[in-house]
Amino acid sequence: MTHFDLFNLPPSVDLDVKALEDLHRKLSLESHPDRLASGADARARRLAAEKSASLNEAIKVLKDPVRRAFYVLELKGVKLDTEQAAAKLKMPLEFLEEIMERREALEAAKAGRKLEAAQSMGKEIHAALTQSLSLAQDALRKDDVAKASLALGRVRYYARFLEEVDAFEEELSS
Amino acid sequence: MAYSDKVIEHFEHSRNVGTLDKNDPNVGTGLVGAPACGDVMRLQLKISDDGVIQDAKFKTFGCGSAIASSSLVTEWVKGKSMDDAMKITNKDIALELSLPPVKIHCSVLAEDAIKAAIEDFRAKRAARNGGSAETTPAATREA
Repeated sequence: MTHFDLFNLPPSVDLDVKALEDLHRKLSLESHPDRLASGADARARRLAAEKSASLNEAIKVLKDPVRRAFYVLELKGVKLDTEQAAAKLKMPLEFLEEIMERREALEAAKAGRKLEAAQSMGKEIHAALTQSLSLAQDALRKDDVAKASLALGRVRYYARFLEEVDAFEEELSS
Repeated sequence: MAYSDKVIEHFEHSRNVGTLDKNDPNVGTGLVGAPACGDVMRLQLKISDDGVIQDAKFKTFGCGSAIASSSLVTEWVKGKSMDDAMKITNKDIALELSLPPVKIHCSVLAEDAIKAAIEDFRAKRAARNGGSAETTPAATREA
């Protein structure tokens, strides 16, 4: 059963998050272990707890557009998180060069404790991430797995960069 | 997750961090990435005309295991011939650093980086040789 199946939704990158959250609330209430009759046996309790846990995991993945896109790609047979899939995905050299340069620039900003410089790099990367995500979504709508993999590969590198910016912000504010 | 002592040693005292001039005809640059985690690794080798690796530098943005793997291979390849360096496998690296299964991809990255750097050097050399071969007939025609 997929995360989409749990909500009776077709697998798609396009999803009304508000409606999904309402549905999640409704289903969670229905399957909450506390709602079982006091006489319910251990098996019924365990099943209710499992259902509740899968609903929570599913909503985490589905309400985040990035995780949702990776998940839709996974349903199409490419799990980018695995070594095998990642190894097959060859990112263009120019892209890796760009990432390397940007990571070096961020490192320099960190060394000089230049928060504003790091944040402005973060903004640019965030814009690039949004653009790549939208390309990936488009490719997934058209069932173009190769193109979607490449675009989500980019998203992964950008997301990693943004984590570094966040970590730096935290480091300075603590 | 606990890192092995050797990973920590290479992480805290990384060997050969830095850059070589990528435009130097004797320098091969290998740039590889891991889409599973979004990390990048650059390995540069300075290779003599007779194919011996004289110097190696790396720059890795990644986890401790990725940094340790690249640091380790820069030590290993120095003084080796290109052919011997090509024989280094991710298994050798993972074994030396006692990498756990989830970190094997870091050693794969380091192996790929060596191969990419050597291929880059070979491509440069071929272009140089090819370039001179092309100029010769032209020069002959001129004459």
